[in-house]
Amino acid sequence: MATLIQSLLNWLRSLFFKEEMELTLVGLQNSGKTTLVNVICSGQFSEDMIPTVGFNMRKVTKGNVTMKLWDIGGQSRFRGMWERYCRGVNTIVFVVDSADLDSIPAAKSELHSLLQKPQLADIPVLVLANKNDLENALTVEETIEKLDLKSISGNREICCYSISAKNYVNIDITLQWLTKHASSGK
Amino acid sequence: MMMQKKDEDTDGDMFQRIDKSTVLQEARAFNEYPINPKKCQQILTKILYLLAHSEVFATAEATETFFSITKLFQSKDIPLRQMVYLTIKELSTIAEDVIMVTSSLVKDINSTSETIYRANAIRALCKITDSSMLQSIERFLKQAIVDKNPSVASAALVSSHHLFNKNKEVVKRWINEVQEAANSRGLATQYHAVGLMYLIKQHDRMAVIKMIQNYSSGLRSPYAYCMLVRYIAKILDEEDIDGNARGLYEILEGFLRHKNDMIVYEAARAICNMKNVTSKELYPAVSALQLMLVNPKVSLRFAAIRTLNKLSLTHPQAIVSCNLDIENLITDSNRSIATFAITTLLKTGNEASVDRLMKQISGFMSEIADEFKIIVVDAIRALCLKFPQKQTMMLNFLASILRDEGGYEYKKAIVDAIFDIVQSIPESREFAFSYLCEFIEDCEFTKLSVRILHLLGAEGPEVSQPSQYIRYIYNRIILENSTIRAAATSALAKFAIKIPELRERIKVLLTRCLEDVDDEVRDRASLYLRILDDEELCKKYIVNENTYSLNYLESSLQEYLEDEALRKTAFDISKVPIITKAQEKSEQLRIKTKTAGILASSAMNSAREPSPKKSAMAESIDPQQQYAMEMEAIPQLAALGKLFTSSTLTPLTELETEYVVGCVKHIFQEAIVFQFNVRNTLNDSVLENVSIVMDIASQDDENIDLLQPLYCIPCNQLLYDQPEKIYVVYKRPQQYTPSVTFSCLLKFIVKDCDPTTGEIDSEGFEDEYQLEDLELSIGDYVAPAFIINFQKAWDEIGDANEVVETYMLTAATSLKKAISSVIDMLGMTPCENSDIVEDRANTHALLLTGTFVGGIPCIARARMIYESSTGVTLELTVRSPVRAVCEILSNAIN
Repeated sequence: MATLIQSLLNWLRSLFFKEEMELTLVGLQNSGKTTLVNVICSGQFSEDMIPTVGFNMRKVTKGNVTMKLWDIGGQSRFRGMWERYCRGVNTIVFVVDSADLDSIPAAKSELHSLLQKPQLADIPVLVLANKNDLENALTVEETIEKLDLKSISGNREICCYSISAKNYVNIDITLQWLTKHASSGK
Repeated sequence: MMMQKKDEDTDGDMFQRIDKSTVLQEARAFNEYPINPKKCQQILTKILYLLAHSEVFATAEATETFFSITKLFQSKDIPLRQMVYLTIKELSTIAEDVIMVTSSLVKDINSTSETIYRANAIRALCKITDSSMLQSIERFLKQAIVDKNPSVASAALVSSHHLFNKNKEVVKRWINEVQEAANSRGLATQYHAVGLMYLIKQHDRMAVIKMIQNYSSGLRSPYAYCMLVRYIAKILDEEDIDGNARGLYEILEGFLRHKNDMIVYEAARAICNMKNVTSKELYPAVSALQLMLVNPKVSLRFAAIRTLNKLSLTHPQAIVSCNLDIENLITDSNRSIATFAITTLLKTGNEASVDRLMKQISGFMSEIADEFKIIVVDAIRALCLKFPQKQTMMLNFLASILRDEGGYEYKKAIVDAIFDIVQSIPESREFAFSYLCEFIEDCEFTKLSVRILHLLGAEGPEVSQPSQYIRYIYNRIILENSTIRAAATSALAKFAIKIPELRERIKVLLTRCLEDVDDEVRDRASLYLRILDDEELCKKYIVNENTYSLNYLESSLQEYLEDEALRKTAFDISKVPIITKAQEKSEQLRIKTKTAGILASSAMNSAREPSPKKSAMAESIDPQQQYAMEMEAIPQLAALGKLFTSSTLTPLTELETEYVVGCVKHIFQEAIVFQFNVRNTLNDSVLENVSIVMDIASQDDENIDLLQPLYCIPCNQLLYDQPEKIYVVYKRPQQYTPSVTFSCLLKFIVKDCDPTTGEIDSEGFEDEYQLEDLELSIGDYVAPAFIINFQKAWDEIGDANEVVETYMLTAATSLKKAISSVIDMLGMTPCENSDIVEDRANTHALLLTGTFVGGIPCIARARMIYESSTGVTLELTVRSPVRAVCEILSNAIN
């Protein structure tokens, strides 16, 4: 009964308090950004993706929140442009391929250099360790440690989840975290 | 409400107060949320306006703007999206990292619902893609080419057209899709598909011909057919008529019966422009054009008469059948059509119809613009030269239009026409001079006055009553500006020098000129007075047939003015070559005929592609003069003296070989210089110490030892695609003109080199490259000469040294081929258009003139009879003041 009332409330709220949020997905190439966007938008996983040349823009409504997703290509030629698309967004989502251990150091340095940009100070960051369905994938703790997330200082809110876009693992809590940040900073 | 109205009023001049920095400020609105599509569209319009007005955007500004624009992809507003594409296309060349929008564009191209802007997205995509990215978008473009929507397919085809220049290999792989698109139902799509298909196959002639045959029926788009017609015309222009081309002509002829006017016209025009077209082949095209002459559409009438007019230059006979229709066009309300009609008739008309035509022209001269008047004047000039008996009437006409109002170009054309008539029809002189005198009485163009005064001075003393012109000329001295006064002074003096009876009287006039305010006039007057006082000087002045080579004088004076160091010393005129006046005249005539030829040919080609224009420009600089200047810059060659004549470039290799070599033969008084133009087409090698080894391969002359190799001027380094010249010099006794075949060998040291950095390896090895044999024939010793009146020159030389020989040219299968080979072998210039032969004629007389090495004039008449069984029988008569020259030339035929 309580849940019923709760959902009714949510529905009512969604009618009157429609919320908007903008978020940017970055991360090295082949970490699964576009796949994740597709999973979030349509709930469907498709294996074979061509690399994103440039960026994709998607809009998706979850509950009472309309999300604008800027999915930026991860190849090195696009990394310089991440900052442009991170300015002024509600959250930055940094996707890591947790099964590709060799790429972790590069991911770490890209993440840290991105977050040092003064324009991006205080924007909440969500780090997603993707592909946890693969065998040698890192755990959340390992990821936090390898990426040295603890050292990211200041008032910035930072969070890390281990997910699998393929098997829809932890996508719910990711979305919850995101919608929670919809109005932050506004 | 009032406010809104005011806004609307000011909307029109929204563009007048645009400032780049303000617009870039406004562009921040792109980052706002939610997006206001109307406002953003306006800002984009302003950016496009600035770009279109050549406002310079710095890279940083453009990049910043570009990235703001990418934010607009979140809006679904269709007009805004289309504006975004337009702006991206414009910014693509200025901003950095434009490939950022690739994925977004691909998404739009693949979208299934919003079809309206897919075509725009494709066009933008092609702009932002570089050749390395092409592979990754290849499949989307391939899909788009075969898209059911014609606008999408067209956009993809046009984009591929642009991409073809960046990456030929990838685009070539799409040929199957393009073929499918050619069957599309969109008219423009078919047209674009045919265009792209040709682009892909253009270097494979057989494939192009096959494609033309394939599509010569079954297409729906008239534009595509027009393209096919143009491709056919191009092929016909490139190759001699053989089996394939014959088939192509039939296709063209088939198009003449198409129901679409545009195709019919294109086909007719292509046939009219065909090289060596016969009257039988022309007939259907001319009939088709004739029908258009009475078409109610102005554009069709204009196109048809314009083409017929061009055709009348080369095949006047073919058009005679249309004369009636053309005559009706003289009264056409469109003056351009009327002008073309008149000039066409002037070219095709016979002597009898000329009178009637001239009457009609006088009536309508006042109604047309200057440019058309010039066309008419040119036509009349040609007509007058053709029918000298009509000169009185023509001159009357020219004189009357000379009195009318008109600009400089127009008046110049008339004066030029009168000058030409005076030159070629001596009887007309007196008449013409009186008109010209009348004209300078009231002429507002100094240049023309000066030219007329010069002509009067040069030719006036030779007519029966020269004193009548003195008054006109002296009037100029009293009334005109200093330039004209100076010219008039010279003209007066010439009368005095050439006619002793007038001398004392003119002296009085010239003495008055000594008081003139202008120093040039005073100088001239005192110079001529000095000459007149001395009988010896007068005689010398009259017989002086030499003058400076004016072109050369001009260029060396220019050089003198540009070079500071050179200017410290006085200009040395002794370096300027001296030529006879006759030579100068023939040179002028040559340039004139040449420019006329170029104008005609470039006019014919201009519609097809831009390149002929460029080559025409290059040709307008005389190649021989250029060779002479190049060789004079090399001390060893400068010592050989003055260049007599140069051959055309003979290729000694195929065009696609590693090293491309061609040879130009220069004949000097006592030497022969072989100029080898060498080009290295390998970008990974460098040649050093490049020289040519020439050997006499075959000759039938026991005195061949007289021809001594002197030296070779090698080329030190031959870089990729940078043509260099190598000279080989042979010594030749003055009277000795052997025909020899040389074998040629290119010797060099080859070194590897990095194509990207240009770094050259230190190690190299010797190598050689066999070239094709080079022939030196009698024709190479003959310089072209130009005369107007063949018969006069023929009679002047006389038959004292005449040599007549008869030959059987069994190899020649037509008169046309015989004519071109005789011209080649003798190296002489055809006169009076005698190199053009009637289609069905079996006999022909070819008239040739030239100057043999040593400056000996030679003139030849070749009479030919063609019989299919025996080939061409040639009777060659050569005349020259020197017997030996006649013999050498008559033996040159083999």
